[in-house]
Amino acid sequence: MDENGEQRAGALRIAAELKNLSTIGRFVEDNARALGAGQECIADLIQAVDEAATNVILHGYHNTPGPLELEAGREGEQLVIILRDQAPPFDPTTAPPPDLTTPLHQRRMGGLGVHLMRALTDSLAYRARPGGGNELVMAKHC
Amino acid sequence: MEIQVSQVNSRVPVAVLKIIGELNADTSGQLDAEARKVYESGTRNLLLDLSDVPYISSYGIRTLSEIFNLLRAGSPDENDAALDKGLRNGSFKSGHLKLLNPTQQVRRVLNLAGVDMFLQSYDALDAAIASF
Repeated sequence: MDENGEQRAGALRIAAELKNLSTIGRFVEDNARALGAGQECIADLIQAVDEAATNVILHGYHNTPGPLELEAGREGEQLVIILRDQAPPFDPTTAPPPDLTTPLHQRRMGGLGVHLMRALTDSLAYRARPGGGNELVMAKHC
Repeated sequence: MEIQVSQVNSRVPVAVLKIIGELNADTSGQLDAEARKVYESGTRNLLLDLSDVPYISSYGIRTLSEIFNLLRAGSPDENDAALDKGLRNGSFKSGHLKLLNPTQQVRRVLNLAGVDMFLQSYDALDAAIASF
């Protein structure tokens, strides 16, 4: 860890495909553990990253081939996971809130992934990358 | 992800689907397919054993919702009017789709997603089967 309390653990570059969600989950688990996160924190981050990666695969790349990069690190008390892709601009943080109160048989399920991402992390920050693509930074006190 | 299917003939036939692995956008289609196979075989009661499911993503929850609605079809006790009445009373839980041993993480996410109110969870297999 450097004097600013920052520590980089790992990076992963992988094809943005649903079949790679398990590899992505293992990356988060291994690196979060190496960075000193507790089990509950790790579980939350695994799921939050699954939701984010799924959004990239299905809504960013529309299920066509594209790269996804992940970085894991620590900034003081916060675990930080960054996802970067080369898909058309897509800001998941502007997704409308999900419907959580309508009876299940009438309910539309849109927006639930982002809702869970927000609930399972302490912060979500999006930016469009200057050369194209998207960057999503999620942080959690771990 | 693996799904083990077994049938229990208690008061009514119940299909028990033991799911091993995470339920997410990659794997939830398997659960959907197995549930539909069970439904098409004539069984109308489904118990999902979630003891080995580390998490259910929003896509897994979407699949639970679809199974919930599938099992309601053709069940007069769970038609829209009965559902609405039960919800107004704060009492509706599916009589045909139930959960066994969801982990703490899964329970938390079902709550965050607002679906736990529709699905009863049990900690013991015998109690779950007897409840159908």
